[in-house]
Formats: sequence, structure tokens, C-alpha cells
Amino acid sequence: MIRFRLPPAMVLLAVLSFPPTVAHGQTTEPVFPFPVSVFELANGLKVVGVEYDSPGIVAYYTVVRTGSRNEVEPGFSGYAHFFEHMMFRGTEAYPTGAYNEAIKRLGADSNAFTTDDWTTYHTVASADALETIIELESDRFLNLSYSEEDYRTEAGAILGEYNLNFSNPISLLRERLHALAFTSHPYQHTTIGLLEDIKAMPEHYDYSVEFYDRYYRPNNCIVVVVGDFDQAELERLVTDYYRDWEAGTFEPVIPTEPVQTGPRTEEVTWPNATLPLIMIGYHAPAFSVEAIDMPALDVLSQLLFSQNAPLFQQLYLRDQFVDVLSGGAVDHRDPPLFEIIARVTKPDQVTEVRDAIFSEIERMTREPVDAGVLADTKSAMRYSFARGLDSPGPIAETLAHYLQLTGEPDTVNRVYELYDAVTAEDVQRVATEYFAETNRTVIVLTEEGQ
Amino acid sequence: MRGWLAIAACTLMMACGGVEDSPSPGAGIGLQAPDSPLVTLRVMVETGSVDDPMGRNGLNALTALMIGQGGTNTLSYGELTTALYPWAASISAQYDKEVTTIVGEVHRDHLEPFYEMFRDLIVTPRLDLADFERNRDYLTNAVVSTLRGNDDEELGKQTLNALLYAGHPYEATEMGTEQGLAAITIDDVRAFHAAHYTQDNLVIGVAGGYPDGFLERVEADLAAGLPPSEVTGEPLPVPRALDGLELLLVEKDAIATAMSIGFPVEVTRADDDFYPLMVANSYFGEHRTFNGRLMNQMRGLRGLNYGDYSYIENFIQDGGSTFPTPNTPRRQQFFSIWIRPVPHHNAAFALRQAVRELALLVEQGLSEADFDATREYLINYSKLYVQTGSRRLGYAVDSAFYGTGFFVDEIRDRLSAMTVQDVNAAIRRHLQADNLGIAIVTREAEAFRDALLSGEPSDVTYNTEVAGDILNEDEEIKTYPLAINPDRVRVVPVEQMFVDVS
Repeated sequence: MIRFRLPPAMVLLAVLSFPPTVAHGQTTEPVFPFPVSVFELANGLKVVGVEYDSPGIVAYYTVVRTGSRNEVEPGFSGYAHFFEHMMFRGTEAYPTGAYNEAIKRLGADSNAFTTDDWTTYHTVASADALETIIELESDRFLNLSYSEEDYRTEAGAILGEYNLNFSNPISLLRERLHALAFTSHPYQHTTIGLLEDIKAMPEHYDYSVEFYDRYYRPNNCIVVVVGDFDQAELERLVTDYYRDWEAGTFEPVIPTEPVQTGPRTEEVTWPNATLPLIMIGYHAPAFSVEAIDMPALDVLSQLLFSQNAPLFQQLYLRDQFVDVLSGGAVDHRDPPLFEIIARVTKPDQVTEVRDAIFSEIERMTREPVDAGVLADTKSAMRYSFARGLDSPGPIAETLAHYLQLTGEPDTVNRVYELYDAVTAEDVQRVATEYFAETNRTVIVLTEEGQ
Repeated sequence: MRGWLAIAACTLMMACGGVEDSPSPGAGIGLQAPDSPLVTLRVMVETGSVDDPMGRNGLNALTALMIGQGGTNTLSYGELTTALYPWAASISAQYDKEVTTIVGEVHRDHLEPFYEMFRDLIVTPRLDLADFERNRDYLTNAVVSTLRGNDDEELGKQTLNALLYAGHPYEATEMGTEQGLAAITIDDVRAFHAAHYTQDNLVIGVAGGYPDGFLERVEADLAAGLPPSEVTGEPLPVPRALDGLELLLVEKDAIATAMSIGFPVEVTRADDDFYPLMVANSYFGEHRTFNGRLMNQMRGLRGLNYGDYSYIENFIQDGGSTFPTPNTPRRQQFFSIWIRPVPHHNAAFALRQAVRELALLVEQGLSEADFDATREYLINYSKLYVQTGSRRLGYAVDSAFYGTGFFVDEIRDRLSAMTVQDVNAAIRRHLQADNLGIAIVTREAEAFRDALLSGEPSDVTYNTEVAGDILNEDEEIKTYPLAINPDRVRVVPVEQMFVDVS
């Protein structure tokens, strides 16, 4: 069994209402239009509230700034995700059955997910359930308690999840891409973990206790609440329920990935029917609210792979050599991969498709993007973002994404200011700098026997 | 950025044919929300894969894709997607067995030019050879490659469908069959569009921040641009009766064993018994939650796999949510159990446990306490189905199909007046564990079949010591009798699945 926790708290308060900013002589409304309230307990737990017009509904997200990036010890890949599962295994006050029963009574939509950098526990429910949600969530974050038998049983569910993922060849492809592109950084393995580590999980109960002790601490977590609630009441409740949570001190040492100095390639096969798949990775910059490189690469991903991109129109529409073509880099705390995936409609067109992608990338290093196309791209990114802000859950998840990166709620608007500032020269420069052949890893997957 | 921007003109899978009580032209659904910056249009065409002509399975899906991923009479698909792109607007086509739904979503800043494209796609789609070839290849690959080789869970579900509905208009996948798709011509698509995309075969809905008079304009435009119907929907035949436990095993190099179990039921949302069965099903196997008994017994206590759920109607998860996708209504439904992949060595045990749990549900029903908790859950949870204008509109359109009140209101009102006796009586009327279709996707399928037919106990292996009461129950599960009908057991190599209908 594991358990913990203690000490007192006090509240700091700030309300952020994002003002319009000026870019290129024009006033731009902030892309995240809702006022945000922030307060922090003395133990370091930050609470971010967005009162949003969703009568009777509230979203409650708890962000843990820990993901598979933190799996630095050999043999423990997949652990952040595994621990996410264990958080549903109960406490003394609410053993598993009682917790599930309480969530059921609320009619809540409650789950969790884990990524490379963060883990989130999310609940969307009736607004009048807010205090019960806070009670349940604070209880498991402060007082998690599970037996070794429960721990070992849950390992079976993890293997099941791996199995269902790996009936799809893209899982294998991504696993191999990361294994080949990274030599030191934990991004070398995917979030689900390596099969041999998953099979060994049942023997590592003590490590799970250590993992909880390291990372499930208030100063490593952020609570995000969106919807129909009263901010003052939220602050009172959160202070009452989380004040005894003890801050942690553990600082993981994340290895730095050395610069890749030459192209890497690998071919893999799939035992069942599949179209050929090409996955290409380039090391990309870490998330930043200062540097223009990452936003410029995001714009570049649109110029290469959006539906109106010349490459997409050529390979997907005109030649019909692919039925899937996409690419981009997801924001990461450490330098991630810019990943490109293409599904080739005919096995003998793999080389042609791969070379067409390389050729278009090379063209982007030579030719500056047209001003009108750049403006359309920025427009698409803004409108796409706005379309996603349609209910409490997606709004909370959007904020959570940026909060896990920096801890600061104004990051979301700062990023879109950077997008507005991206120039054709920026795009050309990052294309040259990051899409160098020496920075490239290519995996090709084909059907066995073809 | 958070994730790669989705390609706007994306496609899902979904379906229909002539339902008598659909709204007439002019009876569109408007959910105006003046403060919303977004506008959603949903046009549900009552034509689906049931309307595919003999030997042309996939024609409905292909026609839908020629709209959702095709051009108009004035814009090629490439030109259209280029126009939509700066607005991050999308037009997609969902296709299922009974209905096809064209869904448009746009920021209100661009509603006017967007709407003209949306309208033209329905009224005057391009239907040219380039769109035809690309979309037919897409569907063929979806059946031949993706379904057979890239997704064992979906393969299990589609195999169950093929088993339950052999010889029925529901038999083919919504995407079609390999041979059916190969036989379709561009002229078939043009004729199908002309026959089924008709002014009196639609349910039109609009939601969000649209201006006054917009819904009426959409109705008038579609009425003026589409011809009246010359074909009427055929009544569906009754699905064949299952005879004991019928097995269809698909042989492939699967990493684990995926299983789906089910049988047709004579209940849809239009029937009173749907709602007590909804409660029973939620108690037994609510989708993607730990509410269900199946989930707790199989994953929670035993760690057999990632999840185990049940359904009282066809269920397609809406994106990354746990909620059902709207606009997949059907005139006939089926009950099913979804057992997510189980390591091969525990698969037979898992199958016995799932069938036994179903038998226990039928035999014992729900307790008063289980009923109260489940009813409360569903009344609250169903409110979350409709958090966005688009989803609310989708459910309103579905309610028009079934001829009921708004689905979420029906749940609240009917469950509020329900008793545990109502639920248990509905279970006895409609659920059973004696005549089941069982789809199994596995490697060494013949050995698996032989093991099941041998009558030998099915062992289970755990990662850990388990409690005595679980072990005691396991002894019952290992030998739980499966009344398999040996004449209704088939092993089929995966490459022979979905070639054609029976």
C-alpha cells in the first residue's frame, strides 16, 4: 500500500484578461478570448479558472507535468501511462468501487490520458457536482492507496492497450522512428512503452510508489476549471481540499539528445495486409514563447501538408499516389521530431512519394512563400483554433496543453502572436536549418512478402 | 502547435432508405444561437448502404464521398478545398446503413460563401472521373487493407455484422465490398445521386450563429435544386434467426484475440422498451467507463484486457470523446458485446466469461440499488451528449428520423418514470444468451475453434495471485458451457472477408 501527505496553505490571486495586441500595425484580438483567473496555493498548486457560458456544465482538469519524457531509467518505459491507470485504483476513503460509484452517480464523463510530456485527469459533469469532483480528485492525488495485487492486475490492462494499438502498423512505425532518431533522450520510446518493459511491469510495484512520490506533487500539477462555476467558491473549495498536499522536491535529470550528424533509415515489414507507409522524422526545436523557429515550422507544416498545399494537391489529388499525407511537430518541452507520414497507394511508388516529399521540402528552402498564401495559412490556423473552443472540455484541454509547457495561462495568446509574426524569410530559414539531410530519419513499412 | 490541423474535408463512416415518418420539406430543424461564432449544417439524406444495388456494394458510400471529398459543377475538389482552407471550414460526408449525412462547419464570418459551396455539393456535385477514381481507391483500400490488416477491433465488429446479417441488406460493410466497389462505374454514381438525393428524402438542420431566415433559405434551395423522389424505400426483411452460438473465426496474424458478440433486437429509439434496455445495457457495459459489470469483472478484477463494453444499438464513438456519433440511425438494431483484444492464451476464458455474464444479466436482472444508480447516471450523463451546437443538432436530426421527442429529453422523461421492474421485464423480453453471433479475430483460429468445441475447460493465467472468491468463480467460468452449434462454425482467412455479400 502507498499513502502520503500533509501541510498548510495560503492563496495568491491574479485575474488575467487578455488585451488586444498590435501586430504589423493592426490590432489583433487575442486568440483565446475568455478571461482567465489564476491563483496559487502555498504548496505550489496552481489553479486556473475560466468562467464560460455553459449552463449547468463544468470541466475539471488536473494536469501533471510528467509524461514519458520523465522515464529516464532503463526498463521503465511506459511508466507515466501505467501510473495514470493506477490513479483509478482508489484510496482508503474511496476504494476503487466507491470511487467509480461516486463518479457514476454524478453522470460524469471522466477519464485521463498521458503524452510524452504530461498526464491529465479530466472530468466533465453537472456544475452542481463541482465540490464532489474536487473532493474525489484531491483525495486520490493526496491519498492514493492500492495493493500490490491491484497493481499487478492493472498491468494486464496495459498489455491489452498495447495489443490493441499494435494491430495498427502506424504504432510500429512510430515506435521504430523514435527508437532510431533518438539515442539518449526518453522521447526514444513512445508513451505506451516498449513491450518488454510492459511485460516486466508487474514486478515493479516499489517503483510505482517512488513514481507517485516524485511527481504527484502540487508544485508539479495545475488544476484547470472551465464552465459554469463561481470563481470565489472555486478558490475556497480548492484551498480547503488541497491545502494539506505536500510540495515535492524531485527534479528529474532528462538526458540531452546529441545533434544527429547523418541520415538514418530502416525498413520494417508488417505480417498482415497493409499499404506501404513512410514515416520521416526531423529533430525540431523545443516549445518556446520567445523563439520564432517553432511557430515558423508550424506554418511550414501547413505549407507542406495542408489540403491546399502543392505537395498535397500533387500526391493526393493529381497523381493519387497517397491516401494519407500529413506532417508536423507537436509542442514539446524538449526538442521533438517533426514527423511526416504518407500512406502509399501502390507498393512500387514508395520511392517516388518519398522523393516528392524531399523535393518539396528542398523547394521551400529555395523559394519564399507567397504573401497571400502565408496570410491564408495564418488565417486557417486562427480559425481552426477558434473552432475548437466550443465547450468546456476542449477549452480546458487547450489551456492545459499550454499550461503544461510553461505553467503560464497567457502562453496560448503569446504563441498566436508569434504565428502572426512569422515571415516568409523565417519559413525559408527553418526549412533550411531543420530539414537538413543529416537531421533526417526515415522508416518505410511494407507488407511482408511484397 | 497542439496537433496537426485536420484535413478539413475529412470523412467518417456511417447510412438509409425510406423511412415513412421523416419531416417533410419545410420542416427543417433550426437551433439558432446568436452568440455562437460557429455555424453547423447537417443535411441527412435518407439513403444508405441498404440502397446499394445488387453487386454494387459501396455505391452509397462512394456517392457520399464524391460529395464530402469531391468538387461542385463550378469548383474542382482541389479548388474547393483551397477556398475552404483559410476559413478552417469543413464539409464531410458520413455514411452508414440507412442514412448519409453531409455536415458543414464554418465560422459565421464566412457563412455566405461557404454555404454556396455546401449547397452546390449536394445539388450539383461534380461527380467527375478524377474524384471517382480517388474515392473508389480510398474505399477499396479501407476494406482490403485497413480493415483486414490495420485494425483488429474494427475487423471484429464488421465480422459480427457480417455474421448477424448474412443475406440481409445490412450484411455488407458501410464502405462496401471488394467486388462491389470494383464493379461500380461513374454512371452508377450519377444515377444513384439522381435517384436518392431528392427533395423529399432529406432532413435539414442548422445550428449556431446563423442569421434569421437562413434555415428557410437552405430548405428552399435544396427543394428547388433537387428533384422529387421516384423511388421509395423498401421495407427491411427480418434478420435471420440465430441457431445456438454461431462462430465466425477470422484467421490472421493477430497480436491478440479480438472478439465481438451479439444478436439482432427488435427495438430502436422509437420503441418504449429501448429506454429500459438502455438502463440495463449501461449497468452491464457502458461504453468506455468503469460503470459496467463486464468492465469491472473482466478488466478491473482480472486484468484480461483493456476494456469490455456492451451496446443496445449500433455505436460509433464520436472522435476522441466517449459519446455516440449522431446521425447513424437505423430501422433495425442489435445488441452487442465488445471484448477488446485479449492475449491469445486467455481468449477462450474471456469469451466464456462474457457469455456467462450476459446469461447472469438475463437471469438476475438489476437490483433496486443498481437500477437507481444507473438511472441517475444516465439522466446526468446524457446531458453531456449535447455540449456543442453541432452535436445537439445531430441528435435533433436523429430524433426526427425516429419520430420521437429530442433524444436527451426522452431519456430524462422516460427514465424518471421508470422502475426496476420495467428494466428487468424488458431484459426478459429482448435479451438472451442462448442464440448469439460470435466473431473472433485470432491467429491459429482452427486450434481455437477446436479447443472451444472440445468441451475442455478454458484456463486463465494471471500476473498475480488473485483473491479466493475470484478463483472460485473462475472455476465456474472455465467450464461454463457454451452451446456452440457445430454446424454454424466457420473459419475464414482474413483475405476472404468482405470480398462480396453472401
